[in-house]
Amino acid sequence: MEAFVQSLVSGVLTGVLYAMIGIGLTVVFGVMRIINLAHGEMVMLGMFAAFWGRSLWHLDPFLSVLLWTPAMFVVGMLVYRFLLRKIIPGGELNTLLYTAGLSLLVANLALFAWTGDYRTINLPYALTPMRPFGIAVPIPAAIAFGVALAITAALWLFLSRTDMGRAIRATSQNAEAAVLMGIDVERVAVVTFGLGTALAGAAGVLLAPSLYLYPTVGELLIVKCFVIVVLGGLGSVPGAIAGGILLGVVESFGAVYVSTTYKDGIGYVIFLLVLLFRPSGLFGVGRS
Amino acid sequence: MRRLAPWAAGVLAVAALPALARNTFFLHVCILVFMWTVLGAAWNVLGGFAGQVSFGHASLFGIGAYVTIILYLEAGIAPWWGIPLGGLAAAAASLPIGLICFRLRGPYFSLSTLAVAELVRLVALNWEWATNGPVGFLITALPPLSFLGHAVNWEAKAPFYAVAAALMLLALASTAWLRRSRLGAYLAAIRENEDAAEAVGIDTVRAKVLTLALSAFLAGAGGGFYAFYFRYIDPDAVLNIGLSMEMVFIAMVGGLGTVGGPLVGAVFLTTIGEAVRERFQVGHLIFYGLFMMLVIRFLPEGIWGRARRLLANARARVLLHGAARG
Amino acid sequence: MALLEARGLTRFFGGLRAVGNLSFEVAEGEIPGLIGPNGAGKTTVFNLVTGFVRPSGGDVWLEGRSVVGLRPHAVARRGIARTFQIVKPFPNLSVKENVTLAAFLRHPARRDAEAEAARVLERVDLGHRVGVLASQLTLLDQKRLEMAKALATGPRVILLDEPMGGLTPSEVDAASGIVRRIRESGVTVVLVEHVMKAIMRISDRVIVMHHGEKIAEGAPAAVVRDPAVIAAYFGKRVA
Repeated sequence: MEAFVQSLVSGVLTGVLYAMIGIGLTVVFGVMRIINLAHGEMVMLGMFAAFWGRSLWHLDPFLSVLLWTPAMFVVGMLVYRFLLRKIIPGGELNTLLYTAGLSLLVANLALFAWTGDYRTINLPYALTPMRPFGIAVPIPAAIAFGVALAITAALWLFLSRTDMGRAIRATSQNAEAAVLMGIDVERVAVVTFGLGTALAGAAGVLLAPSLYLYPTVGELLIVKCFVIVVLGGLGSVPGAIAGGILLGVVESFGAVYVSTTYKDGIGYVIFLLVLLFRPSGLFGVGRS
Repeated sequence: MRRLAPWAAGVLAVAALPALARNTFFLHVCILVFMWTVLGAAWNVLGGFAGQVSFGHASLFGIGAYVTIILYLEAGIAPWWGIPLGGLAAAAASLPIGLICFRLRGPYFSLSTLAVAELVRLVALNWEWATNGPVGFLITALPPLSFLGHAVNWEAKAPFYAVAAALMLLALASTAWLRRSRLGAYLAAIRENEDAAEAVGIDTVRAKVLTLALSAFLAGAGGGFYAFYFRYIDPDAVLNIGLSMEMVFIAMVGGLGTVGGPLVGAVFLTTIGEAVRERFQVGHLIFYGLFMMLVIRFLPEGIWGRARRLLANARARVLLHGAARG
Repeated sequence: MALLEARGLTRFFGGLRAVGNLSFEVAEGEIPGLIGPNGAGKTTVFNLVTGFVRPSGGDVWLEGRSVVGLRPHAVARRGIARTFQIVKPFPNLSVKENVTLAAFLRHPARRDAEAEAARVLERVDLGHRVGVLASQLTLLDQKRLEMAKALATGPRVILLDEPMGGLTPSEVDAASGIVRRIRESGVTVVLVEHVMKAIMRISDRVIVMHHGEKIAEGAPAAVVRDPAVIAAYFGKRVA
């Protein structure tokens, strides 16, 4: 029983972070119909930002979220404005391949600059895990979980209460109608892409103390990200949250009860099954 | 007859090259270019002609590589049998893959190919009884084999050059055949409007499956060649996502849906890649990514695609000019 | 035996019953019309007959052989062709290439297919436009192309889904003429249409659908006076 609860807890802790990454991708798809293959690299940049912030300026990674999130937001806006905007009219395929090229470029520039050596962040206050009710909870994971929840809650408020948030949701549901209603769809696109990148970067910062960091981690993450957004339904934010947590839990259980080597594979199999039998996502809210 | 002229010229040039330039590095680059042309053409058949964008072609390449190398190490099967057999194995594997992935369209199809490729890599990594897992396979010795009565010395570049050139010719010829065939016409219809294609009696599933099989055969044969040339394979070398993307890039940079595109793309990317590797050791993929972005932005038809269009326009202008004067 | 027959055709989309227990027969050489207000399920019937959508229940027979469960290309091969309400050409191919692709079904050799395509294009009055890209045609010509593609597959029955939609009155006359020429060439036509003038002139028999069911059937003049039909279109108070 204890192993079950431990698995579940670990899964949810990771799952919420997966969810953040997934929200970033799905919200961009919802508004702009772009699948951003470079999204994994945005997470990687967040990870390394946290690492270098700590190495060079002794910034606590969790505090540095406040710095790096807005920074990544700006990066996202710039990428959209100067790179993507001219490509999108060329069609879905071209845009997809363009982001693939961008992904390769960023990952390999990082590899060139920082080498492929694994890096870690060691936090003095995080050496021993907490043990509430006898379940081991690593401190970085717990803090990351808390911050991620806060960010997700803030995002929810943003999307449901603010004008820009509503504009984003409207454009996501029907871009033509949004234009007719007077929504500046261009501005929505810029903000959305910035938002997606910021979420990815923030997730990277929060994950950094818990993982081995290396520049090509984006490859692994982007596939997981697809699993999440397809599970939850392309374009659906609640779907991405559910999908992220579900994937985290499934991987965690898979590692414990099936095998550690195949735990990634379980995600892919579920991915294929969902694509085949319920392409609009487990909850049927996704768009194609 | 006029159509065959460029082919004849090409074959002559390729045959003459090793005689003119004995530099082994140059021959090595040529071999790489030929191999990447085959892989780019393989992807182009499915992606450029059928319009089905796959991000998992490395799985077909890798299956071919493993089958070929295992056939050699276990049963001593020579490259000229092993490589086509690798291709056939990949084509056979493409049938269940197509069965799963062709149920989906557009980006969903592309994502599914990614998942399938990753699954294949995981299987190769873990089914050690079949694939030696992360250890992979190594050809320690390639003793001279007899081909039509001559002893082939595998320590030299020449035999590999010949095999690679033959594969490239096969790949380009099959692409050219496809373009003029009825299957090629069906693929154009599917690319334009899949529903309309079904409505006029085109079996879209069969067309896609056949095209994938051809694409897989070429990719698998390329994999078999890789296995013999580099003599070492493991899951990371022959089944990684990066390889899949490189195949896409070569087809894209050269020109989707053209016959010569993959060759131009391979020449371009391989020479740049090797040049960068000489100077900087790493980072050639940086240029792949950069060029991919530049081509999509400024030359979406690809280098060869654009060149062909310029040639066609120039020819049309000459004709008009002649007609106006005459 | 009827050429085309449907019995108890039903289709649910989730909780919505798009087509309910629909039965009809089409004899060879007829031009029955299928009419009904928007949302009545007419296009769904076409989709069910041609294999684009699987029925939830019921069966469809062409010359006594069931076509349910076949994929659209197989249905076309059996002899049922269709056009789409919103035309689906191959936009970047020429008119000739568009129709040749369809002709390949019965004429595998390219030269034969091209010859058949040329013949069909003459019949729909598109002979002078063979080299034009499909995306650059006028609406009427696109409708002609849509019919030509369906005809080139050599069908026994052709289902025309609102071929007159968006056409001016004189264009409607031109299109009606083509439909009659199709029948004269030996192909049976089933017509879904909103444009009453066309139905009245072309169809000898009319089937009226409402909410997925057949509510009336008969000669056009009689059907338009049927109170149930009037109620379906204009509401009960008018009837």
